[in-house]
Amino acid sequence: MRCPLETREDREILVAYSSRALHAPDTELLEAHLQSCAACREFVRGQQVVWEALDGWQAPAVPADFDRSVYARIGEQVSWWQRMRGRMLVYRALPVTAVAALLLVGVLLERPAPPRVAPQPATTTAQVEGLQPDQVVRALDEMEVLDQFNRLIKPDSSESKM
Amino acid sequence: MGGATAALDYDAELMLRVKDGDEASFTALLEKHRSPVVHFLYRMVQQQAVAEELAQEVFLRVYRSRGSYEPTAKFTTWLFRIATHLALNALRDGRNERNQDRLDERAEDMPALQVEDRRPSVEQSMVRQAMLDEVRRAVAALPDKQRAAVLMHKYREMEYTQIAKVLNCSESAVKSLLFRAYETLRARLAHMA
Repeated sequence: MRCPLETREDREILVAYSSRALHAPDTELLEAHLQSCAACREFVRGQQVVWEALDGWQAPAVPADFDRSVYARIGEQVSWWQRMRGRMLVYRALPVTAVAALLLVGVLLERPAPPRVAPQPATTTAQVEGLQPDQVVRALDEMEVLDQFNRLIKPDSSESKM
Repeated sequence: MGGATAALDYDAELMLRVKDGDEASFTALLEKHRSPVVHFLYRMVQQQAVAEELAQEVFLRVYRSRGSYEPTAKFTTWLFRIATHLALNALRDGRNERNQDRLDERAEDMPALQVEDRRPSVEQSMVRQAMLDEVRRAVAALPDKQRAAVLMHKYREMEYTQIAKVLNCSESAVKSLLFRAYETLRARLAHMA
């Protein structure tokens, strides 16, 4: 066997041997070589000292509340994300609401003026009451269409380009 | 280690279940890996409180990344890559700097060396404590990447290929890192023989 100290690659064999990670056939070969090579014996001895010293360095136990802390941090993260999402939804809804409000005002202003007739308070009141629900329903329908249109367009704006 | 090997990794399977919304699988991963991660980080930064905080961050990132997780490598490779990245950043930020100077003062924070004699004398305890401090200092004096490589090799028994993936370098670079690290440690700890 060539002396493992001759090349850096071969020195890994000595490191592996010291950490008992060398396969059996290689171990036998190396042990035969160690009988006759003082330099390699010294290397192995030094490496074993390091290995044992590191073995003695124990890390402290993980505290019992570690998992709870992890879940708490995950919880914070989730609630933060939910808050952000909530805010983003509000911001997204603002332009839709504004447009809907403008449309509603527009519809109400565009409404044809009632014919000028002699004042008949009871009938007029009845007409106004009869018209308002239709307009409101129409306005609400338009708001809903706008909302759907907005939802369709905003998230898929990148797709629509394709 | 390709995708096929990773597919057999049970931890990766658990992580895929976490991706599908199975919270119990995350608990299983946390239980299995909390100690290795905390211990690795403790030996990297050598301060328990910082190590715990970083380990929490590791698992938080694992959880946060569940949606985009793909088992392209062993789960532990991914896990230790996150842990190493955070540790190296923490060391770079100097978060641990002020505490390095107090290693001697913080003996109570450090566990004692494992001893065969259950009731060592005061003198023996002091000698062992001094040896432990020396080991810690020797490891702390290693360059960050060498330290990470030694800790993964020694305490996690990771193979060169896996360490290379964690550190995002070649296998030969890992061998070189380890060789230089052990050479330094041999020189510093030779008198302990």
